Amino acid sequence: MAEPVIDVRDVSITLGGHSIHRDLNLSVARGEVVALIGGSGSGKSVLLREIIGLLRPQAGRIELFGQSVWDSTSEQMNLLRQRFGVLFQDGALFSSLNVEDNVATPLFEHTDLPHATCRQLARLKLALAGLPADAAKKRPSELSGGMRKRVALARALALDPELLFLDEPTSGLDPISARAFDALIRLLADSLGLTVFLVTHDLDTLFSIIDRVIVLSNGRVLGSGTVAELKHIDDPWLHDYLTARAPQKETTHGN
Amino acid sequence: MTEARAHFDEAQGALIASGVWHAEAASALPDLAGKAVRILDGAGVTQLDTNGAWLLLAAARPQVSDPMPELRAFQPPHLAMLELVAQHCATTAVQPEPRSEGVLAHTGRGTLAMWGHVVGLLDFVGRLFIELAALMGSLGRWRWREFGAQVSAVFVGAIPIVVGMLFLLGVVFAYLLGSQAQQYGANIFVVDGLLMAILREISPVIVAVLVAGRTGAAITAQIGTMKVTEEIDAITTLGLSPLAVLVIPRMLALLLALPLLVFIGDIAGIVGGMLVAQQQLDISYSMFMDRVADVILLKTLLVGLGKAPVFAIFIALIACRMGLSVTRDARSVGANTTSTVVQSLVAIIVINAIFAVMFVRLDI
Repeated sequence: MAEPVIDVRDVSITLGGHSIHRDLNLSVARGEVVALIGGSGSGKSVLLREIIGLLRPQAGRIELFGQSVWDSTSEQMNLLRQRFGVLFQDGALFSSLNVEDNVATPLFEHTDLPHATCRQLARLKLALAGLPADAAKKRPSELSGGMRKRVALARALALDPELLFLDEPTSGLDPISARAFDALIRLLADSLGLTVFLVTHDLDTLFSIIDRVIVLSNGRVLGSGTVAELKHIDDPWLHDYLTARAPQKETTHGN
Repeated sequence: MTEARAHFDEAQGALIASGVWHAEAASALPDLAGKAVRILDGAGVTQLDTNGAWLLLAAARPQVSDPMPELRAFQPPHLAMLELVAQHCATTAVQPEPRSEGVLAHTGRGTLAMWGHVVGLLDFVGRLFIELAALMGSLGRWRWREFGAQVSAVFVGAIPIVVGMLFLLGVVFAYLLGSQAQQYGANIFVVDGLLMAILREISPVIVAVLVAGRTGAAITAQIGTMKVTEEIDAITTLGLSPLAVLVIPRMLALLLALPLLVFIGDIAGIVGGMLVAQQQLDISYSMFMDRVADVILLKTLLVGLGKAPVFAIFIALIACRMGLSVTRDARSVGANTTSTVVQSLVAIIVINAIFAVMFVRLDI
């Protein structure tokens, strides 16, 4: 097997007196679309923040593309940051910039391209993310929630990263937009050869676009595998979680 | 990793690219002005992402209407990438930058915005009066707890800065006045001048400016952020009035706090002046106090204290209105907070000038 893109080894963290992760291990291979699930407060978002370099774990080692996140110099880290993109839960668009400049910002900062070319590339990313051309000049506050997520996705893709982190990509979207967004993520992952690591609560996302699910429970990885494989794990929370969708859907995903 | 390379083959009309094609590869493109690219050859391309694909396509056909070049010898994933990007190329066509507006248009827009502020303030005052009239009937609906919290924030929190500032201004004023008065042996008249200046002008204006910067900005930022997080909408849907819950307690708190702060500022300024008088002008503390008792007029004190509530009303009105007119983004919170401080300062200076003329005409 090729070197993993994300490698988390023996990570522990205690926040506010609560132990969040205890010797947590996981790895993600190149090209995988992996979902991280877990109950509320199980530390999914904390783990994501540790992996993308926003929150330092107290023990353990986190590597992206074989390079340690927490033992790198700031220059090495900045080079590493250009190789992954992050979609935050509410988009985290810069409200003082219009949509096009939001997407072009990473290109302005990290490439020597003229600004006009950066903006053209930004419009390409917006088109790839499924936004109409007339959205480019709007301000983030003028967009709907689904469109904001698409803009945020376009910004995450601006530098053509190899790895994409998504925090609850479909939360706050209606089912139609959510499924369309799922399909978009899968399409981009396949056509651009991305590795995708997403945190989600959305069962439909799990059943439709995910290669592998990692379950977080009590500060450790409870198990990982396809949705079908997870059903064999004997855990009351996981059982409730996987059966928490509308009953008539149970029959459709079996095939 | 090999560097991106590209050269143009005149004979075939082919752009031949090789190496790693990312966004940084743009500098590797040859000058293609006036040359028609019929073939795009990617035999040597080892990596290609969407940025690289767009750069190659944009170089090969500067206008979207130009014919698509023949794609030759690309690896299958790179070919798929080029086709994906080519589908969306039309949307990346250069759009003309909007022309920046001239001085005249800018002035016009500014004037309209200023007029909008005046109309908005009037509208706000009207709605506030309706709300107050509705509240008059029932004392139970007044937000006493919120009022208390605001008084503590606006008044108690501001005492140290007001005392410090007015004390220093008293020191400076007495010192400068003293160095002039000393030349004529008119030391004792420093007390008269100091009292007049501190009580009538310096304390009310400086305290109002401080409160506008400190509390006015805080009110706008807080109400504005509540607007962004939809708390104001929640208050409305719960059947409460944002004016009664948020605006009126803040307004009353400022109305109470500002005169008190001005009074505290008066004392601090006089104490500062007294220290300098004793050190520099040989006026003992008891002499200073005797002189104060002789020359102080009640009206001097009242003029200063009387201006404070007027300043308070304007600061509160401006701050609350700007807070409620925030739109749902972070930029607007900053812009409106700035606007609150600027509008409040202008209002304070203008009102103070009106008062000065009015008092002279009325011979007060």
